[in-house]
Amino acid sequence: VPDIALKKADEVILVDLPPADLIERLKQGKVYLPDNAERAMEGFFRPANLTALRELALRRAADRVDDQMVDFLRRSAIEGPWATGERLLVLVGPDPLSEKVVRTASRLASGLNAPWLVISITRPGATVDSGRLEETMRLAERLGAETRRVTAEDFVAEIMRTARRENVTQIVVGRLPRSLFARLTRRSLPDRLIGQAGDINVHVVSADVPLDARPGFNWRTRSNENALEAIGFPLAAVVAITLVGKAITAILTLQNIAMLYLVAVVVCGVVSGRRSAVFAALLSFVAYNFFFIQPVHTFAIDKPHEFFALFVFLAAAIFTAELSGRLREQAERARSQEKATQALYDFSRKLSGAARLDNVLDATAAHLYAETGKGTALLTPRQDGELIIGTVWPPDLAIDPTAMMAARWAFEKSELAGFSTATLPQVPWQFRPILTARKPVAVVGLLLGENGPLRPGDEQIVHGVLEQAAVAIDRARLFSESARRAALEESDRLHTALFASLSHDLKTPLATISGAATSLRDLGDKMEEPTRRDLLTSIEEEASRLGRFVANLFDMTRLEAGTLKPNLETIDIPDVVDGALQRVRKVYPGRIFDVSLAADLPSIEADAHLLGQVLFNLLENACKYGGEGNPISIFGRLDGNEVAISVTDQGKGIPEKDLEKIFEKFYRRQKSDGRAAGTGLGLSIAKGFIEAMGGTIKAESPAVRRRGTRFIVRLPVAREPRSRDSAR
Amino acid sequence: MSEGRILVVDDEPQIHRFLKPALSAAGYDALQAFTAAEAERLAATSAPDVIILDLGLPDKDGKEVIRSLRTWSKLPIIVLSARGVEAEKIEALDLGADDYVEKPFGIGELLARIRTAIRHREPATVSMSRFDIGDLSIDLAKRIVSRGGERVHLTPKEYDLLAHMARHAGLVMTHRQLLVAVWGPAHTEDLHYLRVFIGQLRTKIERDPSAPDLIRTEPGVGYRFAE
Repeated sequence: VPDIALKKADEVILVDLPPADLIERLKQGKVYLPDNAERAMEGFFRPANLTALRELALRRAADRVDDQMVDFLRRSAIEGPWATGERLLVLVGPDPLSEKVVRTASRLASGLNAPWLVISITRPGATVDSGRLEETMRLAERLGAETRRVTAEDFVAEIMRTARRENVTQIVVGRLPRSLFARLTRRSLPDRLIGQAGDINVHVVSADVPLDARPGFNWRTRSNENALEAIGFPLAAVVAITLVGKAITAILTLQNIAMLYLVAVVVCGVVSGRRSAVFAALLSFVAYNFFFIQPVHTFAIDKPHEFFALFVFLAAAIFTAELSGRLREQAERARSQEKATQALYDFSRKLSGAARLDNVLDATAAHLYAETGKGTALLTPRQDGELIIGTVWPPDLAIDPTAMMAARWAFEKSELAGFSTATLPQVPWQFRPILTARKPVAVVGLLLGENGPLRPGDEQIVHGVLEQAAVAIDRARLFSESARRAALEESDRLHTALFASLSHDLKTPLATISGAATSLRDLGDKMEEPTRRDLLTSIEEEASRLGRFVANLFDMTRLEAGTLKPNLETIDIPDVVDGALQRVRKVYPGRIFDVSLAADLPSIEADAHLLGQVLFNLLENACKYGGEGNPISIFGRLDGNEVAISVTDQGKGIPEKDLEKIFEKFYRRQKSDGRAAGTGLGLSIAKGFIEAMGGTIKAESPAVRRRGTRFIVRLPVAREPRSRDSAR
Repeated sequence: MSEGRILVVDDEPQIHRFLKPALSAAGYDALQAFTAAEAERLAATSAPDVIILDLGLPDKDGKEVIRSLRTWSKLPIIVLSARGVEAEKIEALDLGADDYVEKPFGIGELLARIRTAIRHREPATVSMSRFDIGDLSIDLAKRIVSRGGERVHLTPKEYDLLAHMARHAGLVMTHRQLLVAVWGPAHTEDLHYLRVFIGQLRTKIERDPSAPDLIRTEPGVGYRFAE
């Protein structure tokens, strides 16, 4: 059975029996057929092998049970205050041994009841097999470790610095098998650590399985990238310097030609890196010898002191090459770091401007795509917790149902899923949860399956971006929650306004009707005839007021419910204006209405009943706010392919800031004596009706001579305009 | 001869339009006020016997008018209020309003309230020593309650509660007012006391405790003792 099966198995059951028993069973033919068993016993099933296998199986099972135990403890929230006495620092790398190191450390940590910190150190700019390292780090996290990724030049110094800072008492490190040469030339990391550890205990975990990969730099891939530059540039530089040197020595005697070659070395180091500089140093050594040291044009050297000087030059050149190369590397690193910082800064500025969740998601996805070149998807949970796609960048990418499953997994388990992970690795997307302190707030998907994994260094960028995105998403969620609450409050406020309006506008007429009717009944015979008549009139008026209010409410309800279907027909404006005026005159007898309709007014496409109601509402409004005794004007004219009808009063007018508000439901202006008047529905119904008929309505104030308000209704002219003559 | 002077405070002209003739027909002088400021001025200058006050006034909350009137006057105040806003009524009553009428109302109901309010204003009511209603009689001096000539045995608290309500017969009493009067200001929230004692009183004095007509419930507001 391959290891992977064991690793992925949901459950592992260990069936154990001593080797002697197994051989016994083999002999009885219970495992293989007799002749196969014979061969097996001779070949593989020897007691020593079986014992080794048994130990392996027991240990694997123990590892698993240990993981589950720690997992369980974590899940049951046995967080508690850990004993503070011991603290472990565990060093891992991209090597297969690291998994064993983590497991060993986990056992050690739970035995000591100590917190443990797992760090992986890489050299700046180094390419590592990040897949395996990630897996190891995740394992560590799952087993309860704190993990950290560090970059440093000097591993030992960085480790010791971290150890001292974190009050570490024990260090766990793996020892990789090393070649004889390596063992002779350099001390291994564990050895150096032990040398510097002082009072910190160092546990060294050794490999017991053949390791299939070795970590470290991969020179070949690096040199492939800029092979031309690394070889061509030094070559060109040395040739140039040689020519210059020749030219100068032709004119004057120069003692230190070697200095010129150092210039070439430095230039190569700064421009194309350390290896190029070393190469330049070697080339310079050869060229200097060949072209300038007597006898010229041979590699032979006459004078012993020149021989000595030549090698001093070589040493100096290589040393210079190293220095200049390192200088360049540091400059490059600083530059790329600055670029990353700048990008992150730009991103955070973009985010700070985005209040809505959509904007945050879009900004994050676009930024990740721009930084990594990978398709990016962001998924967020809906109100009901169901994960949905928030944004995909570039927008033409698709996420299939299997990928969605991986995304959900990432969200629910708060771990990586999809491409090159343990969960649904066949999916081209890799999903990572975006976590805040509270909970996962979103999932980011990176399309790694199509054009390869992230570039080295991008991992850090993604990490930084996601950290910021998490905060921004969380903030946007809170923001939208508070906006929703505000909307609820607003609708609450509307309901309160409706309630107040209902209780006022329904109850006052009702109180009048009921009061006047009972007064007439109980006290009518003690009243004068005109008084009785006035009470009866008031009953009639209040009943019709009530009727108008109920009709308004009904219209409003139809508008709100969207069930209003205007019955559009070709109508003539003078007829509608006349109808509305007749109704208004009943309510406001004695008002003066100035009607002026253009003679060439064409027919319009409208609903006669609705338009009549709109005009009535506008006229009623004008009567209420226009001031007693002031005339109200009605104008009608053709304006392009629209007919404009205006109703103008000569009241106080409306402050400019309220001109939009007057069309809102239940917005009421105060009358001159401070009393609220009307239902607050008339104008909003007028607006609703006009818009339903495809027209517009607006208010202007002041209308005439700094006084009054003008309402202008515009409606489209009928498609086949009839002249008034042919209509008649 | 006028039965009394009544100040009507309401911002709706329609209300005045029928109240004025109705009140004069019933023998009262009706004064009209449309705003709180007007109401306060008229209350101070024209010595009305009763104020009918609508709580929704344009310049000031009607409850504020009650508060300021109560700082200097015991003038009976009847509040006009809409149904369904019990909290507002309770607040007005606890501020010192004497009674309320729900809009819309019949004129008979309003006139009855006005009569009760005027009667309670007279000093005689305060020193009343005996109260009779139907076959129930309460001797406030001797603390004896009898029904149809037969002695009704009440606990001291039951008696206190009954006597307090009888003194304000015809007027609505809020839960809070009754609790303060009988149990003291520390018990204003103990509504269940009141429920229990009202229930006990009803079984002892009502003809049919399930359809009480002596102690009537004003839903959400309090109780009103018949007169």
